Amino acid sequence: MTTLPQRPLRIAAAALLALSIAGLIAVVLYSIFATATGAASSASRLDIAHLVRMTTIQASLTTILSLLVGIALAWSLNRLRFPGRDLVVGLFSSAIVTPGMVVAFGLLTIWGRNGWINQAADVLTGHTIGNPAFGLSGILFAHVILDGAFAARILLARLDAIPQPRLKTGQSLALSARQRFAIIDWPAMAGTIPGLAAIIFLLAFTSFPIVLLLGGGPANQTLEVAIYAAVRQDFDLQGAVMLALTQIGVCSVVILGASALAPVPTSLGASIAPSWRDPFAARALQTVVLILCTLGFVLPLLTVLIGGFGAGIPPVVATASFWHATAASLVIGCVSALLTLALALILTLGRSATGNGAARTALGIPSYAYLAVPAVVLSLGFFLTVRNLGVAPAIAAPYVVILGNAMLSLPFAVATLGPPLDAIARSRGKLIRSLGLSGWRQFALVEYPLLGRDIGVALALAFCFSLGDLGVIALFGTQDFQTLPLLMFRALGAYRGNDAAAIAAILLVGTILAFVALPKLFERLAHVAR
Amino acid sequence: MLRAEALSFAYPGQATPYVFSFDALPGQITAISGASGSGKSTLLDQLAGFLAPVSGTLTLDGMDMLGLPPERRPVSLLLQSESLFEHLSAARNVALGLPARTPRAIIDQRVAQALAEVGLEEIGPQRAATLSGGQKQRVALARTLLRNRPVLLLDEPFSALDDDTRQTIRALVRTLTERQNWHTILVSHHQDDVAALASRRYQLADYRLTLKESR
Repeated sequence: MTTLPQRPLRIAAAALLALSIAGLIAVVLYSIFATATGAASSASRLDIAHLVRMTTIQASLTTILSLLVGIALAWSLNRLRFPGRDLVVGLFSSAIVTPGMVVAFGLLTIWGRNGWINQAADVLTGHTIGNPAFGLSGILFAHVILDGAFAARILLARLDAIPQPRLKTGQSLALSARQRFAIIDWPAMAGTIPGLAAIIFLLAFTSFPIVLLLGGGPANQTLEVAIYAAVRQDFDLQGAVMLALTQIGVCSVVILGASALAPVPTSLGASIAPSWRDPFAARALQTVVLILCTLGFVLPLLTVLIGGFGAGIPPVVATASFWHATAASLVIGCVSALLTLALALILTLGRSATGNGAARTALGIPSYAYLAVPAVVLSLGFFLTVRNLGVAPAIAAPYVVILGNAMLSLPFAVATLGPPLDAIARSRGKLIRSLGLSGWRQFALVEYPLLGRDIGVALALAFCFSLGDLGVIALFGTQDFQTLPLLMFRALGAYRGNDAAAIAAILLVGTILAFVALPKLFERLAHVAR
Repeated sequence: MLRAEALSFAYPGQATPYVFSFDALPGQITAISGASGSGKSTLLDQLAGFLAPVSGTLTLDGMDMLGLPPERRPVSLLLQSESLFEHLSAARNVALGLPARTPRAIIDQRVAQALAEVGLEEIGPQRAATLSGGQKQRVALARTLLRNRPVLLLDEPFSALDDDTRQTIRALVRTLTERQNWHTILVSHHQDDVAALASRRYQLADYRLTLKESR
């Protein structure tokens, strides 16, 4: 229960915004439903049951493998101390914003038909190993690289937050490595795992660029890719609508199921007992896990950087389309990031101003709509809406892409800003009240200085998501309006591998720079404000 | 006898180091009192092995303890919080006081005995999270009883308890210390706890321990 005085303006603004988002989603869904009328005949050409089955198998395998990798990696990172550990942890943290296209491209460079492994095998044995980067194996590999690192980062935060006295008690009781994991580590992580599994399942179920690049044909398509193919390749709008409805249905069921499970708890703050080392055998295992995971994550990205910043850069930067795409990506990224931040702040400030559970839920639900209505479906809905309004999609494209990207980033920004704002309300509420602070003064004097880094993280997440997005732009992009990911995708489609490598490297560097710099920048700005 | 001689420690950037010297006798409770931030927890962490002193000695009946890691020290810990693993039952928490390969039948029997000794025969299957503050401390004492290490370190163990429960737990600590011949070190800033329990009392101030009372 919050101890803040009621802030009717904040709550009203948040309610109005939540209603607007809900209204927008309703309009998008209405457009999809309206187009679905009479869709049965078209849909009969699509084997939706097969698509759902394959997507579910792929997403389930991704979830299980990513959780196993995430648990092992978090356990290893929690225990091992070595120079550069913070850098390694930071690298895995960046998995959430690393564009899927870039990872997929890195895997192709290593494991593809003309990749490093095949070239080495050809030289050494005269034979190649085929193309394991394509198909289900490639998709799983790419997903586990990103989602395993994401899971590890979340679970590591839980392990690092284990209270020091609990560790002291365990250590003084001489718990073995196995007992320590079972009695101390597992309970700290267990509450997080159902929610995390649901997020990973949804990310894999709605995966678009990785499946588009590595799917290797219809057999491994996800619903998202099938929707894209129906619209852009087969011009089968009604088929796309049927697929979109199926996608929304399945995602909604997963979200409802996940919401019944234990929520992801917020961090308790780091408290590591550095003196409690596991026995040698456990440390050896942790070292092996860490080396394998770091190689698995870093190697594809390194290949992208090595391949991209070679001979491919000069021809790419000499083209006008590259600079147009770069400008479009930066403008869309900046505007959608600022829009995301503004929307997330309005919603979370409103939520933290009320202790009423129902009101908090009502203010929060619309921001999570993306989880049920993913990128390509959202994009399809926008596409149908502007078409129904008589607006040419090409004219609406920049606005729709900005809005679409903001909607996609909103749940992550709300999840970033919500817990610290709630914590401020709980811990500083009485003081704020007794000093009579409110409105802008409350934000500028208390919330902004304490939120600084979180604001930077929210902005960085939104900017990076937008910079790497292919889902929204895929349906709205034209020859005159394209972003860097779309330019890269088209280069790959035209077998211009060097161009694609250069763009992938630029995307990767841009993403990492933004992800590292923005939180630091806002942390400093907030420090100045203190 | 547990003896610390010139145990010295300083945190990074700390100009004056802590230097701790004291004696604690078996079957007695030795209290360390001092203001918040005076270094009481630092001292306990050194005794338990979580912090390594820069110099000095720590012996139990002449045997060096400083070379031993926390898990091998002849020490039991009772903290203000987190003395129990809350997701485990009371019985499983107590059973952690026995060696890992103890047969199930012996575990059941000894856990039941230990719980009975602290007056909690009935709560063995109950999850620790559902116990009251006083019950949790008694369960932790039952585990300490099974471990039966010669040194018991108490870090503000009564702070979160109401007056009646506090007196019950105090009496239990005193009884067990005398019966088991433990060297019990009580760190507390509550003067009434110290007055009620301590045979020897040290005051921690200005980075040093001073013997204030010996009964």
